Amino acid sequence: MTAATGIPDPRARPGHPVTGLDEVVHQRVRLGILAVAHEARRVEFGYLRTELDLTAGNLSKHLSVLEAAGLIEVEKGYEGKRARTWITLTTTGSSALAEEIKRLKLLITQVETTDFPEDR
Amino acid sequence: MTTEPLPAGGDPRQLLSDVRRLARRVRLDQRLTWVALLMLAVVTLVGIPFDWFGMQLHCQPDGSCEFARRGVLYYWPPALLLTYAAIAVAYVRAARSRGLTARVLPYTITGAVLTVVFTATWLGAALYFPTHPTHFPSSVLVLDRLIAPWGIIGVALLVLARLERNLALLFFTLAYLAVALALPTNFGFGPPHWGIRLGLALPQLIVGLVLLLGAIGFRAAQRRQR
Repeated sequence: MTAATGIPDPRARPGHPVTGLDEVVHQRVRLGILAVAHEARRVEFGYLRTELDLTAGNLSKHLSVLEAAGLIEVEKGYEGKRARTWITLTTTGSSALAEEIKRLKLLITQVETTDFPEDR
Repeated sequence: MTTEPLPAGGDPRQLLSDVRRLARRVRLDQRLTWVALLMLAVVTLVGIPFDWFGMQLHCQPDGSCEFARRGVLYYWPPALLLTYAAIAVAYVRAARSRGLTARVLPYTITGAVLTVVFTATWLGAALYFPTHPTHFPSSVLVLDRLIAPWGIIGVALLVLARLERNLALLFFTLAYLAVALALPTNFGFGPPHWGIRLGLALPQLIVGLVLLLGAIGFRAAQRRQR
């Protein structure tokens, strides 16, 4: 967990990639939202709901968490008579996503190179 | 922190794989490659009669001929600009209807800029060369073909392939460019005035068909992926 969004995990060893994981970003659905928003630059609520296979309420909760952390911007409007909600990744969100991916890769590398006693 | 309705985190490998899968899915949904290729095929095939009938051709009794492709100069600049505008509109509409934004603007800008370059080059050549006959080495002729409408279509498609991170489109475009740049322009049949017209029309027909086949292929691939 980073200083920006949460409390460090006491179980994590100092310097271990886990210590850098941001709980807001590390959550599977929220990471998916950020990944889609990063690739699409601007994505509609309905697309996220379909691709992530979520209910509207569930997706709204995750979007609120991301918006509160300043990682996305939510813009509501109309297209004709149809209400639309657009989600855009902020610069902070883009950096947080890049950092999370870097940490995940590091974690995988670390796990693969660690010599566990049960492997002996 | 809110109560988690779904399991938080997970296997790092699985998370990374999900991120990649979602990013790929978005890229696929943003693509409308077959529409771009179809529009370019149509504009190429429709351009053939303009070149054929708009060509100024003067053949001497000894068989030598002089020609000026006025049809190309009058047809292609507006046709290409309109096509790129239509492609941009199609991409934006399709992406919006899916709830996404389109990645097409740099492609259409490149296409428009190349169209201006082609028009300026051909206009300059049309004004200069009638009074200054010149024999060019084959390398210059390849460059001439690259600046011609069929060449700039390929160059702009390379930009689209990069934007879409579309490897299939990259390979298709390289094959297309190889055809567009390497096809002979003199097939050598018919009477002289027919030979020149046919010799210039056939490569256009071939590149038009290549684009059309590409459109069909990418359409089929897209249907399979959805």
